[in-house]
Amino acid sequence: MEPRDVFLHVRGEAVFVDDALLPAEHLFAAIRTSHVAHGHVRSLDIAPAMAVPGIYEVFTARDIPGENQVGKTILDEPLLAESEVHFVGQPLAIVVGESAEAARRAARAIQVEIDPLPAIYDVRQAFAEGSLIAPPRTFSSGDVESAWEQCSVVVSGTVESGSQEHVYMETQSAFALPTDRGGVKVVSATQSPSMVQLVVARILGLPMHEVEVEVPRLGGGFGGKEDQATHWAAMAALAAWRLKKPVKLVLTRHEDMTMTGKRHPYLSDYKLGLDAEGHMLAYEVTFYQNGGAVADLSPAILERSLFHATNAYAIPHVKAVGISCRTHLPPNTAFRGFGGPQALFVLECAIFKAAEALGVEPREIQKRNLLQDGDAFPYGARVERCRQRRCWDVAEQKYNLQAGLKEVRQYNGRNAWRKKGLALMPICFGISFTSTFLNQAGAFVNVYVDGSVGISTSAVEMGQGVNAKIQEVAARIFSIRPERIKLETTSTSRIANMPPTAASTGADLNGHATRLACLDIVERLKDAAARCLGKNAPHEIEIRDEAVYASGEATELTWEKLVNLAYFDRVSLCAQAHCATPDIFFDRDTNKGNPFAYYAYGTALVEASLDCLRGTCSIDAVRVVHDFGRSLHPLVDLGQMEGGIVQGVGWMLLEEVMHDADGRLLTDTLATYKIPDIHSIPGEIQVHFLEDAENPPGIFQSKTVGEPPFLYGIGAYFALLQAMKAFRPDAHIPFSSPMTPEKVLLALYPGDRPV
Amino acid sequence: MTQKHEPGECRCSRGLTRRGFLSTVGAGVAVASAAGKLAAQPAASQGADVLPSAEMTPITLNINGRTHRLLVEPRWSLLFVLRERLGLTGTKVGCERGECGACTVLMDDLPRYACMTLAVEAQGSEITTLEGLMRGEELGGVQQAFVEEDAFQCGYCTPGQIMAVEGLLRAHPEPSQEEIQMGLSGNLCRCGAYVHIFKAAGRAAQLKRGQ
Repeated sequence: MEPRDVFLHVRGEAVFVDDALLPAEHLFAAIRTSHVAHGHVRSLDIAPAMAVPGIYEVFTARDIPGENQVGKTILDEPLLAESEVHFVGQPLAIVVGESAEAARRAARAIQVEIDPLPAIYDVRQAFAEGSLIAPPRTFSSGDVESAWEQCSVVVSGTVESGSQEHVYMETQSAFALPTDRGGVKVVSATQSPSMVQLVVARILGLPMHEVEVEVPRLGGGFGGKEDQATHWAAMAALAAWRLKKPVKLVLTRHEDMTMTGKRHPYLSDYKLGLDAEGHMLAYEVTFYQNGGAVADLSPAILERSLFHATNAYAIPHVKAVGISCRTHLPPNTAFRGFGGPQALFVLECAIFKAAEALGVEPREIQKRNLLQDGDAFPYGARVERCRQRRCWDVAEQKYNLQAGLKEVRQYNGRNAWRKKGLALMPICFGISFTSTFLNQAGAFVNVYVDGSVGISTSAVEMGQGVNAKIQEVAARIFSIRPERIKLETTSTSRIANMPPTAASTGADLNGHATRLACLDIVERLKDAAARCLGKNAPHEIEIRDEAVYASGEATELTWEKLVNLAYFDRVSLCAQAHCATPDIFFDRDTNKGNPFAYYAYGTALVEASLDCLRGTCSIDAVRVVHDFGRSLHPLVDLGQMEGGIVQGVGWMLLEEVMHDADGRLLTDTLATYKIPDIHSIPGEIQVHFLEDAENPPGIFQSKTVGEPPFLYGIGAYFALLQAMKAFRPDAHIPFSSPMTPEKVLLALYPGDRPV
Repeated sequence: MTQKHEPGECRCSRGLTRRGFLSTVGAGVAVASAAGKLAAQPAASQGADVLPSAEMTPITLNINGRTHRLLVEPRWSLLFVLRERLGLTGTKVGCERGECGACTVLMDDLPRYACMTLAVEAQGSEITTLEGLMRGEELGGVQQAFVEEDAFQCGYCTPGQIMAVEGLLRAHPEPSQEEIQMGLSGNLCRCGAYVHIFKAAGRAAQLKRGQ
């Protein structure tokens, strides 16, 4: 049994939501959305849709038996719009028909009249008009106001970072089946099965136990299915429940891109003060987050921006303000990094500008200010087991920074129209949900009489390899072959009250829960072995490599025999366990606490090549030294690292989300929205696993990977800036991502034409 | 994709491709007016020009060495027919616009986006999907290479990537680095497993040569 399902994937046998066989009588749903960004719904005429052949029913907000509400922490999001619409792409009605095509045709036939109202897309305007999702938050330490006068250099400015579409290759999808008790079973491509369960129950007015949500696997999530898979599951559930027939709802790529939110664009104002030696003394930053039309996860994402405002650096005086602005774009949502990348980018821009002011290289400021044990984060947490400087030093030596810089200088001296740049990117990322209560998970382990093992956890497999890691945990605790262990689908009927699989916590939380459940069973098996063997105490029994030892001596018992014997001895061979991350807390009144179990550290060297005539940039190499702890699964971790870097580079250089003046998405296909393909990935990605990096809070001393690698992509932006500066040292380069070839050319040739 | 055309070797009917494609996209005017006239013709044998849009047409498809006789609407894509009519869900839906490559299949050894190919135009060609690369219970060379090189993460683009490599290697058994890059340039992987996919293509070439 291969928990990553590699053999299923290469045979095309892995079943994603849209691949599942459904009963013959199943129906398809499609959605009618708003074509106006903000307005009053004057009329909604469904009669033309009902006239389309093959249409069963059209549902609007009035047909929701429970509460028309999909909001999580802030209840501001209807499943189907009622009297007002707040973004282009907001669902108004669900059409159900005998084919997806008929349903879509009917959805288009619905007559909707909307009286437009003034719409806001810009965060400054939203802020000025008081259009906020939540009150502003401030994290502070020291006293920035009095610190400015101690500084030799103070730089300030504005940084823009762009949005990013998730483009999980599997679009949002769900199907729902009515159950005989009047409930519903939903199979959903979600990272948050329990959230789907809760919302479906709320929409239908059912107790949660009448709603079962199952997730087979995801064709990518990246945060885009943490909060925003819920809607489609709830719509399928509503239709199935009302019609008493199975209903499938799968968004097309175009629908998915236009209806769902993306990474939050940020506009940030910064002010950074340093002493003459380049020590960062004071940093003030205000993040204006474009939250879109409803809260979704925006406040939590903004909070993480505040946590990571100072990245991997020690800065004594900090004031970071976060303002979540309500606009009339689709609700922006979680995306790998969860507000962290936006914050890191701002500080790196400030450092780049400060370096120019001080007449030094950015890397000198970066290195001088790296975190070390004994430092504190602005939110009060102490820095412990910090490996930031080690990662930096190893990266400098291992990848021979000085030689690399020399090569770049020589290359730039030889070439007039092609320039290279090299940047370093240290990263620090806190591991845990910043909402402390989410840091819990469950595992349910069944050992069957033939010695095979089935494990259910809260984790959703989406390519991040969490199942492989959980399998590894169970294999180590039982000391059996991994092939004996199967990871089941994720189901709310097996594990209750799951957290989303998000925040890079999947392997740790579910790994620890699995470990505890397996340990329970091992104790029972040892008792049974001791009873059977008759001469030893349970603590003298050991299961090692599928065999049973008593006081170090081999016995005739194997894993299979022991399991079988325990069964006949009427010993329970299943166990449930719950894990809650210890010692984390955060006080949202004072904005102080210790919200993270630990931090991921690392440093990347990024090298870029720029064609100064065309403005095109390629990333020649990304070379990383990263603290994986004691890696639980090096192959999975390497893949996460490479993939995260590719996505991060895409965000910084390539991927541009654009809307027109009426809030309609312009980049609504993969032809107009470019994600990295095989031509645009870095020419070389080297990954060095930092040695001697035990991590006690992690599962088996490991550190999770997931989100942190994305942050290395930010280095690509500054490598490109270095190359641009090499071509035109006096260029005024705005801090605005993505730095597309158009923007490069505009900065290099501020007049009108190439020299 | 660098394609090798031997004279007379490629049996895809290119004239039909373009007209068939237009009949889907412009499903309105041109087709509707032509429909009445053409409905009288014998349905959908090879070379049929423009077919009425909503009437079922019997076709014969040769998929993975098996012959399937089925009724299709002329505007149905090969992707739709493979998945929704034949249950061959190894071919994935990513964009339905020829932009992502998740639905890549082979038609007469050449990679094709099944979402941009009409089922009716696939008649007369040998269609190979991921399911068709298995040799009994044994993995084909490209599949084996993807396993060995860990060339996937979530697995959703994997079938299309494998078919793109299979098509590449059928045309270029010993591909250069550039040819591999070109061969894979029509297939997106959002997990960013490209480095491994690239290696898998090279490894697959070795495995296939060793066979």
